[in-house]
Amino acid sequence: MAEERRGSWFGFGFCGFGQAPGSGRGRQVLSPEPLQTPGSGADVRRVSASWSYTALVTRGGQVRLSGAAGGAAGGCSDAWASETLLVVLRAGPGRGAGPELQAWAPASAMRGEPLWARALGPEAEAEDAARGEPPAGALPLLPLLPGARAYVSPRPPFCRALAPELRARRLELGAEHALLLDEAGQARTAGPRESGGRAGAEAAGGAAGPPRGGGGRRRLALGVCERDWGYLYLGLERIRAAGPALQEPGRGYKDDSEGSGLNEDGSEVKRTARGEDGAPAPFIAIQPFPALLDLPLGADAVKASCGSRHTAVVTGTGELYTWGWGKYGQLGHKDTTSLDRPCRVEYFVDKQLQVRAVSCGPWNTYVYAVEKEGS
Amino acid sequence: MAEDTQEPLAGAGALREALRALLPPTKEELALELGENVERSVVQLLQEAAELFCGGCRSECLQASEAILDYSWERLNTGPWRDVHKDWRRVYAFGCLLKAVCLCEEPGDTTAVAAALKVCDMGLLMGAAILGDILIKVAAILQAHLRSGKRPGPAQEPPSMKKARYDPVLVPDMTSERTVPRLHCPSLEHFRKYFLVPGRPVILEGVADQWPCMKRWSLEYIQEIAGCRTVPVEVGSRYTDEEWSQTLMTVNEFISRHIRSEPKDVGYLAQHQLFDQIPELRQDISIPDYCCLGDGAEEEITINAWFGPQGTVSPLHQDPQQNFLVQVMGRKYIRLYSPQESEALYPHETHLLHNTSQVDVENPDLDKFPRFAEAPSLSCILSPGEILFIPLQYWHYVRALDLSFSVSFWWS
Repeated sequence: MAEERRGSWFGFGFCGFGQAPGSGRGRQVLSPEPLQTPGSGADVRRVSASWSYTALVTRGGQVRLSGAAGGAAGGCSDAWASETLLVVLRAGPGRGAGPELQAWAPASAMRGEPLWARALGPEAEAEDAARGEPPAGALPLLPLLPGARAYVSPRPPFCRALAPELRARRLELGAEHALLLDEAGQARTAGPRESGGRAGAEAAGGAAGPPRGGGGRRRLALGVCERDWGYLYLGLERIRAAGPALQEPGRGYKDDSEGSGLNEDGSEVKRTARGEDGAPAPFIAIQPFPALLDLPLGADAVKASCGSRHTAVVTGTGELYTWGWGKYGQLGHKDTTSLDRPCRVEYFVDKQLQVRAVSCGPWNTYVYAVEKEGS
Repeated sequence: MAEDTQEPLAGAGALREALRALLPPTKEELALELGENVERSVVQLLQEAAELFCGGCRSECLQASEAILDYSWERLNTGPWRDVHKDWRRVYAFGCLLKAVCLCEEPGDTTAVAAALKVCDMGLLMGAAILGDILIKVAAILQAHLRSGKRPGPAQEPPSMKKARYDPVLVPDMTSERTVPRLHCPSLEHFRKYFLVPGRPVILEGVADQWPCMKRWSLEYIQEIAGCRTVPVEVGSRYTDEEWSQTLMTVNEFISRHIRSEPKDVGYLAQHQLFDQIPELRQDISIPDYCCLGDGAEEEITINAWFGPQGTVSPLHQDPQQNFLVQVMGRKYIRLYSPQESEALYPHETHLLHNTSQVDVENPDLDKFPRFAEAPSLSCILSPGEILFIPLQYWHYVRALDLSFSVSFWWS
């Protein structure tokens, strides 16, 4: 669409390692700033941010790193950044060969040899074509691999197969959990129960509901993400967005304590915990089931992304809402306050920008926005 | 307070010097040996923070320390505690160390020093030992600095004297109960042969009654030595309740909130290795000689503090080690059941609570737990100066009859 050419990426939050947008200046950026990229900002089609570095993937197939890891490499259609591994999808060696999955040590700047590489074979592309998907690489899907039969993990085993009956559309990884959205709009989780993320599985299935009448598939693959302690956020097309307002769960301090946030029957446990500096933590609840999210003014979420302790949501009308931990400016409200309610990021409204996509690193947020038509 | 204006500056200078003297002078020595579990980026940040510290860049070092603390905090809170790798706890402790010392670098008032002490305590509670237990030494210096600035307040009345707090104590009627035998200073061999080996409880008299803690410890003394230290507190009547939780607060806050005033809820400073955190208190207690009859080394003995108001309850449970429970302040009512009676005690089936009975000992639901009524037991009221030997896996239920302070020694 012509409109998309006018879009560009913005970033805010932690950039203590000099990753975009900080450019080495300070440790945090409190309000959205355009990312400095050579060439036009519309060149970047995906941002994947780990804690200490950020990977930008351009339409021209370049992966550019900034922060604790630097360097750039071409021939890449997708990238996924984690502290231990930078995973990229590269075009296969020859014509007809499928894409190659490569994992690099972030510090290597993608020079020399990858830690490991795996040809994905042309079947991967054929699978996607059969499902009506654009060819592999047109849609950034990592950590879900092309063909949607497997996904990549930062810990061994690095390639993990999905159950054959799962038709995955999107997959996100938390510290201990995986969250998957399938084509029927069902969300599934896998991982340990204790932190509350897992228990949302059955309920999430219910929340998704069956496709509405009428032919064709609904546009379902919106924001599915989940990190660390199971921020279960699930965005569905215009129906409802489910997500909790969570903060640090309580801990058991005893060596033998399992520190569970769930009672036996799965009901919520409220624990009074302290933040890391001993001061009372702002909010202390664990929500084991997806909960309806109320956005102000009846706005509806179409995309979502989570950091380690914050959430960002894009609405159908092009607004960005953020909430959660704000200490590093990752909420983009010009300060470092944490919020327990979604608040609109006014920067984009003020600049007459329509937000189209969001991607969160653990402590920062990257936003793709286009100028409003007719402005 | 004109005469005080000179003091804080001089005091702050002395504090800075004392802290600087504790820390290694070069960034190479101000470092941790870390394994693969800690990512390169974190190691990089630790080195940067050490460099900033040694270079005197206080505010940049504080920023780096905050990031170290926030990142390692997330690791500490991911997954079950027992699976958290020790290196992450050491990273966390390192962040606490730098932050605490940086907070004291400025000629600050007591709030900065109190904040620094809180940070040290977090490092001690959640972190792991680094640089030769440096956090304990830093905490001791900070604490000494805070105490020298304080004027001793008027001695507070013990709570039992306040009319508002008078509670007729439910001292159990023990006439129908078999009591725990008592011995005065038995020989090692006698104790071993007749109690340790066969696993029989006994109260030892005349063993701990001369320990310094017996005469020294009072609310005022504890507040003076440990008042500003942060400790974990259990809130809720018993740990099997739904509303039970754990939180952190200073000893002063604990005493004012849960001991002196009309407490809104029961708070119990329970099962905490207070004497590792505050070595000064460790000097008031000793390790009972009988512990040498075990296989473990002295360093492996776990010493816990149990400090709380009248009425705290530990539900009937068993522990995997031998236990000497030393009573220092107040009295405790204790009921004991042999491990052979376990089935009649209806332990919880979950893994987490498998060592805990479902039965409320002093108010048992005999319809639900019929066999409990017939299970034989021993009971006692443990008073200051006495030691109760609780054999390995012996079920025990404890209720404090007064404001109470006990010290337990878990050994093998």
